[in-house]
Amino acid sequence: MAYTTFNRQINDQMKEPMFFGNPVNVSRYDQQKYGIFEKLIEKQLSFFWRPEEVDVSKDRIDYQNLPEHEKHIFISNLKYQTLLDSVQGRSPNVAFLPIVSLPELETWIETWAFSETIHSRSYTHIVRNISAEPHKVFDDIMLNEKILERAEDVTRYYDDLINGINLYQRCGEGTHSINGETHSISLYELKRRLYLCVMSVNVLEAIRFYVSFACSFAFAERELMEGNAKIIRLIARDEALHLTGTQHMLNIMAAGDDDADMAKIAKECEEEAYTIFRKAAEQEKDWAQYLFKDGSMIGLNKDILCQYVEYITNSRMQAIGMKAIFPTTQNPIPWINTWLVSDNVQVAPQEAEISSYLVGQIDNEVDGGDFGDFDL
Amino acid sequence: MPDIKLSNGVVINFDNSARTLLDALEREQLEVNFHCREGYCGACRCKLLSGEVNYINEPLAFVRKGEFLPCCSVPVTDIEIEIP
Repeated sequence: MAYTTFNRQINDQMKEPMFFGNPVNVSRYDQQKYGIFEKLIEKQLSFFWRPEEVDVSKDRIDYQNLPEHEKHIFISNLKYQTLLDSVQGRSPNVAFLPIVSLPELETWIETWAFSETIHSRSYTHIVRNISAEPHKVFDDIMLNEKILERAEDVTRYYDDLINGINLYQRCGEGTHSINGETHSISLYELKRRLYLCVMSVNVLEAIRFYVSFACSFAFAERELMEGNAKIIRLIARDEALHLTGTQHMLNIMAAGDDDADMAKIAKECEEEAYTIFRKAAEQEKDWAQYLFKDGSMIGLNKDILCQYVEYITNSRMQAIGMKAIFPTTQNPIPWINTWLVSDNVQVAPQEAEISSYLVGQIDNEVDGGDFGDFDL
Repeated sequence: MPDIKLSNGVVINFDNSARTLLDALEREQLEVNFHCREGYCGACRCKLLSGEVNYINEPLAFVRKGEFLPCCSVPVTDIEIEIP
């Protein structure tokens, strides 16, 4: 069925499935099939932050004093995260909005993708601060083989779904000859691509970000790059929420009450889902190897980071009803959890060695002269 | 004061000095995974084998039947749980 921005068909939105029903017409939230998505929207809005609020100026000095191999760790992670959020800032919109059928889910997808654009902007904020030549950092993303290898798997499922939707919405189900090439599409196949896409997004947000997070927090445990850690903490808080969103979608799909086909597909794709998790975990372990190729950092090395990848992969799989695939059962870096606590994200300015001051509200340059006209 | 029985046989009494079940478990030096401690990430998910818990804040994370989030709940009755 062709997409329309305001579907004239009068429908009962409470009876629509999450995806592939009628396109949404009225954005109304007085009635909701899945109230959880509205709650996620509200939570995400309450999390709102801007990169400029975080003072990263001390990071510049820290960065200059880092040994070369630690600079490599820091900047490579930033590049990788930039790739991930470039994809996440646009793809949920492009892939899911043309097929979504519930207003609360539609708005959640938009809210979710918007928050990813904040993450992207924060990387520029960080890079501008630590490098006199930020363009070199960003230019390298498109040339760095290690990053591009990952990009392939991160984007493949999105692209398959988007191409399928384009074909389906233009030509409908069946075999079509376009510019001399034959393409086949069915609604069932599209639903399969959707399921795998959501699964791969789940993996992206559940595992791929966490190697970088661990490194950022490991620097901050040594009181280095704390402005960056403060930003990463805000990003991690958002990502945890996005992850909950995709976990809900996957669980609703697998239950089958929403769309019986999706439950069938979830079963059929079980093996592929395991493969997606396993492959992502292997890639992240490779990435850890690349990060530490010239040397480890205090508190973290390749082996510990690989164990953490295994640990978090297991825990993410169990969250969506899958079995753990790695023997690791202990978190090798338990200190990371304190960095991920929501409470600790907001700190009263007077308590913080971490730079959480709002820009413009405080002057970071203070010397004796500033007290010159003080009288007691 | 309800008791918390762990699958390995250990029994802990939940008194009101602990704000949540997660706090009570940590006080006993038990290692439970956690991230947000607010019910939206689901990292602390444990199995609820018997008994009933009450949520201080309704969790946003997906909680399957037979599971619960200790970070935002308190026991109503004696409970038996399994920490993964």
